[in-house]
Amino acid sequence: MLKKRVIAVLTINDGILFRTRNFIPDYRYTSNFIDMWSIDELIILDVTRPDCGNRENFYTALENFAKNCYVPLSVGGKVTHIGDISTLLHYGADKVVINSEALKNPDFISQSSKKFGSQCIVLSIDAKRNNNGIYEVYISQGRIRTELEPTQWARLATELGAGEIMITSIDRDGTLEGYDLDLVRMVSENVSVPVLACGGAGNWEHFYQGFVTGKASGVCTTNIYHFSENSISSAKNYLLNKGICVRK
Amino acid sequence: MKIVIIDYGIGNIRSICSAIEKVGEDPIVSNDPADYKDVDRLILPGVGAFQEGMKNLLQSNLLKILSVLVLKRKVPILGICLGCQLMARESYEFGHCDGLGWVDGSVIPITAKRNLHLPHIGWNDVEYHNPSPLFLNIPNHSDFYFVHSYYVHMPNYQYVSAKTSYGNPITAAYRYENIYGVQFHPEKSQKYGLIVLSNFLYSV
Repeated sequence: MLKKRVIAVLTINDGILFRTRNFIPDYRYTSNFIDMWSIDELIILDVTRPDCGNRENFYTALENFAKNCYVPLSVGGKVTHIGDISTLLHYGADKVVINSEALKNPDFISQSSKKFGSQCIVLSIDAKRNNNGIYEVYISQGRIRTELEPTQWARLATELGAGEIMITSIDRDGTLEGYDLDLVRMVSENVSVPVLACGGAGNWEHFYQGFVTGKASGVCTTNIYHFSENSISSAKNYLLNKGICVRK
Repeated sequence: MKIVIIDYGIGNIRSICSAIEKVGEDPIVSNDPADYKDVDRLILPGVGAFQEGMKNLLQSNLLKILSVLVLKRKVPILGICLGCQLMARESYEFGHCDGLGWVDGSVIPITAKRNLHLPHIGWNDVEYHNPSPLFLNIPNHSDFYFVHSYYVHMPNYQYVSAKTSYGNPITAAYRYENIYGVQFHPEKSQKYGLIVLSNFLYSV
């Protein structure tokens, strides 16, 4: 049967691996550590601030990761044109993650999926509760409102051709307090494509909740402390012992 | 050993190259028929839509040499994902489209069911039916990475090497003489995927 997936998310700033919330470079980790036999997938995001850094550094970092990566690799950040997708695939991406550009121009989803296939296009949605307590999609690191409801946007995106949805809780991101399970479940139960939970995972129980309560197909962790080989195996043993079917 | 990865403008060729290099060989990536002389192994990659794939193949100027190599000289060929679908007789993705017709099979959609997310994305275990040499030294029920919505249905079940279960059983791998197809991505399936590739090079 299809296994639930544990996915590591790496954020790269001007070619260097960073920890998200504190935005501190982490030079301990090089492309060699990606040879982690227990992780199911990798997502690499370019989080370089606009007009900072050199995009070529990201391609170099991606190329290095991809060379030693024998699990699926999704890549995102600053994807605004069809050409960007071709370039990322050329450098080793299997799937491409799109976010803001799809909101500005939803037709970008249909164009991309027609050209590269739905399985290649992951739509990333950042959401949190607005001042009225209703979930809303935001862009620009949670600063700008879109007035879109996450489930509606996710459904439209899948109709347009997105093959997967990555739903991130802006409020939970970096807190280590667990996923926003209501948000994850809301999206998972209302789209037909796989949904990946992101934002907030701090321990293995959070992964478990993401699958069981959140109904996610995959759980993402950006917590770099999860990325040692022992950690991911230990996470999987925890999940297996609690009856979740994951790849050993 | 001369290994050519067929470059027809579709597919993540780089990943397959890296995986073949990891196994210990240096593949050639080419769309020039002249490079296919004396080839020992062929790999047909592919991701995306069937019609787009066939269109690219037809425009590639490679079909003549490939037909000779595969059908006459019986050079072993491994079709991966869309590659394994293109070698079939036909596909029903977005309407009917002819395939290469090298194996007797039809590409049909995975049957949609309630609570069954599509595409079929992720690690799923593969159960042997009539296992080919691709699966030597790989335990039955090992996980491989799948990402697809269609699969090759084969009327002659004896050619199905292995299947996986998603809603219903679906073909995970097939073999017809020198023609091997895998629906999963061996280059993305870590340890066992690399063994599949190694077996394709050294054990068929």
